[in-house]
Amino acid sequence: MQSDIRESETIEFDSRKPVAIVGAGLAGLTAAYFLRRQNVPVVLYEAGQKIAGLATSFHDQDGFTYDFGAHFLTNRLAAATGIGAHCRTVKYYGETVLLRGRTYSYPFGLLQVPRFLAGGLASRIQPVDEKRKNSSAAEWFRASYGRELADEVALPLLEAWSGAAASDLSASVGNKLQNSIGQTLSLKLASRLTGRAVACGYSHEMPENPSVWHVYPDGGLGLLCQKLADELENAIQLESPVEEILVDSGRVQAIRVKGREQAVSAVISTAPCNILPKLVKGTNVLQPLSRFRFRPMVFVNMRFQGRGLLPDTVLWTPENEFPFFRLTETPLSMPWLAPSDKTLITVDIGCNVGDEIWQMEEERLGQYCLEHLKPIVPDANQRYLGCRVLRTPIAYPVFLNEYEAERQKFERSTGVEGLYSIGRNGEFDHILMEDIYWQTLKKVRGIVGALQH
Amino acid sequence: MVKQPITKLGAPCRAGANAPLSLVSVNCCICDLNDVEPVGVGEDFEYRTSPDTFLAVRCRNCGLIYTNPRPAMQDLSRIYPPDYHAFEFSAERYGFVYQVRQKLEARRLLSCCKGLGKDARIIDVGCGDGFHLNLLKKFGQPSWQLEGVDPSDRAVEAGTRKGLKIHHGIVQDLVEDFVLPQASYDLAFMIATIEHVDDPSAVLTTVRSLLKPGGKVIIVTDNTDTLDFQLFKTRHWGGYHFPRHWNLFNPNTIRALAQKTLMEVDTLTTVVSPVNWVYSIRNTLVDWQAPKWLVERFSLNSTFSLGIFTLFDMLHQWMGRGALIRATLRRPL
Repeated sequence: MQSDIRESETIEFDSRKPVAIVGAGLAGLTAAYFLRRQNVPVVLYEAGQKIAGLATSFHDQDGFTYDFGAHFLTNRLAAATGIGAHCRTVKYYGETVLLRGRTYSYPFGLLQVPRFLAGGLASRIQPVDEKRKNSSAAEWFRASYGRELADEVALPLLEAWSGAAASDLSASVGNKLQNSIGQTLSLKLASRLTGRAVACGYSHEMPENPSVWHVYPDGGLGLLCQKLADELENAIQLESPVEEILVDSGRVQAIRVKGREQAVSAVISTAPCNILPKLVKGTNVLQPLSRFRFRPMVFVNMRFQGRGLLPDTVLWTPENEFPFFRLTETPLSMPWLAPSDKTLITVDIGCNVGDEIWQMEEERLGQYCLEHLKPIVPDANQRYLGCRVLRTPIAYPVFLNEYEAERQKFERSTGVEGLYSIGRNGEFDHILMEDIYWQTLKKVRGIVGALQH
Repeated sequence: MVKQPITKLGAPCRAGANAPLSLVSVNCCICDLNDVEPVGVGEDFEYRTSPDTFLAVRCRNCGLIYTNPRPAMQDLSRIYPPDYHAFEFSAERYGFVYQVRQKLEARRLLSCCKGLGKDARIIDVGCGDGFHLNLLKKFGQPSWQLEGVDPSDRAVEAGTRKGLKIHHGIVQDLVEDFVLPQASYDLAFMIATIEHVDDPSAVLTTVRSLLKPGGKVIIVTDNTDTLDFQLFKTRHWGGYHFPRHWNLFNPNTIRALAQKTLMEVDTLTTVVSPVNWVYSIRNTLVDWQAPKWLVERFSLNSTFSLGIFTLFDMLHQWMGRGALIRATLRRPL
């Protein structure tokens, strides 16, 4: 995609003071791309050796592809960024839940269980105590889904995912989820009829409809970032961590990179927001962010002989006999991620940095998962070909009630003039690919407006 | 789980058209802003000229619908293949539909020419194979001076064969090169043209300069303020004509364009057309891989579906929401 800036659109900015963007992931690259289109000078600083952040895929010599973060994007995002011609349509995507040895498709299959159906219906009929419902994630799920479904499925998954008790989590976890039942039903039906994995619950910023489905770029999600980066020649500085953001009188003035101070007109950070208090000098207003927690996660990518070892692309395992809460057999949706006679199952295990799981060696982790996979894939041992482990200390934001008020305040503004925190880690929000793009676009418009003033 | 075959990259495309197009990002042609929301995503369902997918966006400021990103100018020859329909909408190829369209269009055209003198000079910008000029030649006053402009060699060739005077090129270049004289024309037509051009404001400003003070331009273009747009806008709407219709208007955005180009709006109405209905259904069927015999029931050849949807669109026209906009803009005196 080439940019086509006309003279009339050119906005005058002080070129000596660029906007500094921290992090060359999808959010940072999108922000840089759109600022550039508005003729705003930008410099994008990336601490690592490569761009793309969480949107990275690895390929091994045996023909397997491992996605680090998201597995796919939507055809709408692909078209918006001009990479549609390089994407494959994902034809199918499904989720199931394993309970007492039986699998139920998610979400409607769970209603086959009479107690879930009765509890769900009761929750719809009973008057809602809004204050109680909004007091915690536990109460929110009970009030929304019924006590049985919440206690047996939703809350155990939420706790494994976040590493915190559901009663300590804020109700906004629930509020950020899902479409209405009617919409979910129509999107699932559209998926079945069209033979495409219609996106359902993936895009909150822009409406979902049967014409928006999942696609996978050739070679992995990094292609999307590369496309944006191609337009940013000379603006990306790799291996250049921003060491300090200097604030004076409540306004960003400069940054320090490799020991050198550089004046900036604004800073857009995509770094995990809880490190901002350490990074920002000259103000204490960001101090509350240091309490925000991210959930570390270990992803064990297990290679197996055969295909179709799981009943569906994703299998949720809410019962606590399993150390993992989610298994994903990506080749069921994206056959090209593994050789045709082999498959890949990603095992998601929540943990804490430095704990036993975090420190476990790769092969031991593989064996540990194999043991627990036996009830699901009985011949997993015979099929096992090895594994590759990816670890991240910042997989998901944890919405604890103890800092909910600060989180909501942060959602509105960083409190420092000229400092913006965007993207999944920057906004401290579980935002998926397409939402990152459109939200960033919206924020960039606001930033340009502020700079012009 | 059934083992799935690996799908190909991108959208299906015709033989030899596997290479992606070069795409450019643009701002709204009315507001010069990039404040958009996505409306629809689709592909070239009709001609399969590339594996690209395209996004239709709505400008939040003015409501214009436009394709963004869109093909670069150097790829025009790829997205308008030799078999493109506007290059030769012939009686032989389209039979009965041609005859009906000819009669209807002749009536409409002549109603636009009311009040023109014997020596009126008329230009059709984006005339294709000269279909409308030919009607004016056949049914209008013999003394009218008729000229056309089109960038396609093939269209110019087809029009010239009919004995029409057609200038080859784009209107801005032809004015710059003094091929077309300024302030000389009484009436200009832009029928199904403005949605194809890269910069509607620039083209309309040039057309304005060709008109005598008080002269008029008739713009006919797809209307996005319609039921067919609402129903099919997320992917299959015929009016998108991906990737060839770059800017799509409604009465409000046509007014905004007129204002930007210093034209006065004389009349602004809608016109009946079955084409977007028929092509919206056709695109849906093509996308869902319906059998060919069914797809062929919905085309410019299919008298039955064109007839049915003409009647259907008449109802909408009655409510002021016909499939096409017809705007008469005047160069102020």
